Amino acid sequence: MNNAQLSSKSQKFLEDLRVYLFSSGKNSEEIDEITEELEVHLSEAEKNGKPIEKIVGKSPKEYMKMISNEMVNDYRTWFTYICLIVFGSFAITIFPDLMGGSLSYSVLEIIGHLVIAALFIASVFTGFKYLAAHRTSFKKQVVLLGGIATLPIVLFVGLIYLNQVIDTPALHFGQTGSLIIGILASLIIIGVSIWAQSWVLVMIVALVTLPDFLLSRTSLSEDTQFMIQPLIIIAGFAVYLWLSHSAEKTKQR
Amino acid sequence: MSTTQMLKGIIDGCLLAIINDNEVYGYELAQKLEEYGFNSFSEGTIYPLLLRMQKEGFVTSTLKKSTAGPRRKYYSLTPKGELELNHFTERWDHLQSNVNRVLHNESNQKEVN
Repeated sequence: MNNAQLSSKSQKFLEDLRVYLFSSGKNSEEIDEITEELEVHLSEAEKNGKPIEKIVGKSPKEYMKMISNEMVNDYRTWFTYICLIVFGSFAITIFPDLMGGSLSYSVLEIIGHLVIAALFIASVFTGFKYLAAHRTSFKKQVVLLGGIATLPIVLFVGLIYLNQVIDTPALHFGQTGSLIIGILASLIIIGVSIWAQSWVLVMIVALVTLPDFLLSRTSLSEDTQFMIQPLIIIAGFAVYLWLSHSAEKTKQR
Repeated sequence: MSTTQMLKGIIDGCLLAIINDNEVYGYELAQKLEEYGFNSFSEGTIYPLLLRMQKEGFVTSTLKKSTAGPRRKYYSLTPKGELELNHFTERWDHLQSNVNRVLHNESNQKEVN
């Protein structure tokens, strides 16, 4: 694709349209198709000196909505991301806990976890959709995205606090129960990874459990271990992102 | 009532007629509409309509390489689309003669007498 001949205003519109359709839960192939089609139209219109308003009308938001309404919702994409977020956040909690022995959670913890995951998913999709459809200042974008990113952290901290204050029945899973949950969680993670063709979940689980496990076998002092662990997690994730990014690039060529 | 509101539903038929005439891609389609005098609406409006007509099975599309830039999506009519075009033509002829009669103050009665 050759974007070079397209004005920045048109490019911005196409990018916004992509985000808008994606956060509206549309199929990514269909999104590619319609944006490619509009790209052709916009570049030819620009060659003939037509302004972008002649194509998308006065309100880009209205136009995006019109297109979105004619596209079928692709629940597969939605489902993939919801699975990734829900199971991902569960796995992050379950595996380190498994390393420490058998599992035990309060009812509040389990329900709270599900609610937080649901809230996070809803806020990500509405936030992105809002940003794509509205002209917002950079400051407002930072505030909004920062808010979305901190929301689950704040909620989890709140949940930990609530869990200490309010007493709800606890579920103890015991040795065998914990083992079964561990195996089930692993199977789900592997299944979702194969299905979504993304190893990011496996990576996250490995990064939150392996460094801790391996470091505890070394002769390093506990303080050093405590300091090194987050560094390994961040560095490991950076390496993973870099690798998958370059893999994506070679695939495109 | 604005022209845009009046055009709703009529543009669909016009698109079918133009596509029936010749295989076209989006930009060409908008150009042709403009040549016919439809120049008040935003060109992009044709894409949601094309998406719907494709969903309803009236048109199909094929991607073709072009010498300049990205691939173009060419539309052609399906048998179902041809049928729809015939229906549209009938409906339009009927509507147009009725509206004309109203505007010129003639009634069916008068004609019969």
